[in-house]
Amino acid sequence: MDIERRNNVTVTGNPRGRAVVLAHGFGCDQNMWRLTVPALAEDYRVVLFDYVGAGRSDLTAFSESRYASLDGYARDVVDVCEALDLRDAVFVGHSVSAMIGVLAAGMAPERIGALVMVAPSPRYIDEAGYRGGFSAEDIDELLESLESNYLGWSAAMAPVIMGNADRPELGEELTNSFCATDPDMARVFARTTFLSDSRDDLRTVTVPTLILECTQDVIAPREVGAFVHRMIADSKLVTLDATGHCPHLSAPEATNEAITDFLVRLP
Amino acid sequence: MNPLSITTQDATTGPVLEIFGDLDYTTVGELRERLTALTLRPGQRLVLDLAGMTFCDSSGITALIAARNQTHAAHADIALAAVPAHTLRVLRMVGLDQIFVVHPDSDAATRP
Amino acid sequence: MCRNGPEPDCEKAPAAAFAALLEDSVEELYENAPCGYLSTLMDGTIAKINATLLGWLGLEADAVVGRMRFADLLTVGGKLYHETHFAPLLRMRGEISGIALEIKQAGGGRIPVLVSSVVKNGGNGEPLLIRTTVFDARDRRAYERELLRARRAAEQAHEQAEADRARLQDALAVLQQSLLPATLPPVPGVEAAAHYRTASPDRLGGDFYDLFAIDGRRFAFFLGDVCGKGPQAAAVTSLIRYTLRAAALHDPDPVAALTTLNHLLHERYTGDDPRYCTAIFGTLEPGPTTGEVTVRIASGGHPPALVLRADGTAGFLATPGGLLVGVLPTAPFTATATTLGPGDTLVLYTDGLTEARTGEDRTALYGDEALLAFAAGHAGKAPQAVIRALEDLLDDLGDGLDDDTALLAIGVPAPGTQSRTAT
Repeated sequence: MDIERRNNVTVTGNPRGRAVVLAHGFGCDQNMWRLTVPALAEDYRVVLFDYVGAGRSDLTAFSESRYASLDGYARDVVDVCEALDLRDAVFVGHSVSAMIGVLAAGMAPERIGALVMVAPSPRYIDEAGYRGGFSAEDIDELLESLESNYLGWSAAMAPVIMGNADRPELGEELTNSFCATDPDMARVFARTTFLSDSRDDLRTVTVPTLILECTQDVIAPREVGAFVHRMIADSKLVTLDATGHCPHLSAPEATNEAITDFLVRLP
Repeated sequence: MNPLSITTQDATTGPVLEIFGDLDYTTVGELRERLTALTLRPGQRLVLDLAGMTFCDSSGITALIAARNQTHAAHADIALAAVPAHTLRVLRMVGLDQIFVVHPDSDAATRP
Repeated sequence: MCRNGPEPDCEKAPAAAFAALLEDSVEELYENAPCGYLSTLMDGTIAKINATLLGWLGLEADAVVGRMRFADLLTVGGKLYHETHFAPLLRMRGEISGIALEIKQAGGGRIPVLVSSVVKNGGNGEPLLIRTTVFDARDRRAYERELLRARRAAEQAHEQAEADRARLQDALAVLQQSLLPATLPPVPGVEAAAHYRTASPDRLGGDFYDLFAIDGRRFAFFLGDVCGKGPQAAAVTSLIRYTLRAAALHDPDPVAALTTLNHLLHERYTGDDPRYCTAIFGTLEPGPTTGEVTVRIASGGHPPALVLRADGTAGFLATPGGLLVGVLPTAPFTATATTLGPGDTLVLYTDGLTEARTGEDRTALYGDEALLAFAAGHAGKAPQAVIRALEDLLDDLGDGLDDDTALLAIGVPAPGTQSRTAT
């Protein structure tokens, strides 16, 4: 199957620049990076994609067994890198995607030369000596509510786009599929994400890594950012003055500055 | 796939049933019903005009044989008119051309 | 009120009069609206909240305003959804509506709600605050749950039906197998092979065949097709098989055997449920010289058998004039005979093969001529190989096969080959 079609790959920016792959996390799709792309386009070759099951990826390629583990998603990343023959790319992963990037770099080290983690978390459930931010009951409740409330989710995720007259800078590319995710596949992704534990995988990271965290993030509290920083040898932690889990949307300037700063200093 | 439709005419020799469409496993029931509804008097001839029949499988053949049994039980006769080429071949192969009277068309079949 | 024509005061009077009547101030309308109102800063901090929503939450204004964020009012799932979908969508589009969430009540309960939000921008277009409306969705949620329940029940019923269907098909397959010989007996000096293919796994077929010894020297075989499908037809095939076997042991003459069968079927099935069949019945008798087998056959309305010769030719073994078995009280059956030498093979088949639909629009039939040409292409091969080739042909015909197909090939091994019988 054609990978570029399967994962709705978009390539933009400077074709001669170093490749920067922007990977969305749980929730929505590559459109989340809309405010980051312009900051990178001039100097870098920007690659965007949707994981299978999200956005406008080919939903027929979804398999519950493959995507029930983060390795399945990491495979998507490696597939995309191979399809475009990316070498030494910078992988920017939001939320659980940061962990997916760690796994992908392990699978294909020649493809990924640096990591940027935006609001990452290797494990969401608290444990003795580790604060993930959620109790096991919280996650159970979450997964159960996804099961029983999926009509609500699917109603929300249905394409609902009216004219964007007051946000003309977004242009016309914002199409119907923004944030349209198949509810069954979203459930699998949620389950895989929130039950995952990638803490040990952090030790395998050998490439330069930038960790961006927000001052107030329910999903990835400060302790998690500190933990990730401790576990990765060549890493830098930047705390953005932002609330919520998506600084690339709620504080785009600060996020973009931190990223470009890091990119410019890379060997 | 053509739906089955049957029209009934009356000739001096007896009833003439014109069959149009596919006579197969799924449609023979209709023919059976029509035949059961007929009252045949001794000496009459039932004519089955097959000019418009587009398909006939073994169930169709069975229905024709049942029709023959029925007419004979009423001491009447049966004749087939305008049998399509393919069905005629089948009738010949299974030897039914020896037991069914076959006419080229309805007019010939209803000549007393 | 103002009956005497327009007066300056009359334009204002009705509106003011209505307001006075209802005793509603804008303040009242906001606080006690039938839905919840909420205004937050861009980071979610609650700036203003109406009494209705506070009532649902079971909280006081001073515990909420400036102290809590909108996300804090939600359940864990809601918080997550808010962070990963709601907030980003709102940022990107400036508005979002009809989102199903649940708010937590101070007492521990939760209320399903529908939420709509819109971003208010400042003078230079930068986002300032978020205005949110919250609707009580308890009824709608109950309705959704009912829908979900009904849907799950339908899915389960469907799964059950599929399982039942699979079980039925398995049972039919077992039954079908039992109606046909499991293996063909070894016949000295002769090789035999057979194949049976149903057109549909949901129906029992009406084709039958057999090969069996009648005495120390001779063997008999038959192949045929009962009209119709399904359990009644299958029951008749069983009857036919045992009748022909018994008849053959009594008098192996092919015409006599078919005559016995004809008598039985005609007697037993009359009137408006006639049961008849086509059939070829034959005997095999090893000849005086080794390597030759005399075949005597009679046909009751069945497609003619094929003879494939070692010299590469093929032809039909014609038995014209035979009638369907079971239709008339006395029926004419014609007999014929041939000798099979080394490398010759006799092939019997049912009309599922010749009546298969071919061509792009599936209106043409495979037909006798095509079968003859195909057979000629395999003349000289052993029965097993011929049957295999015919199986491939059936595969190619695919869904053009409307009817079941039975195949039986009987041949004398070519010189220098071992005698093999396939099942």
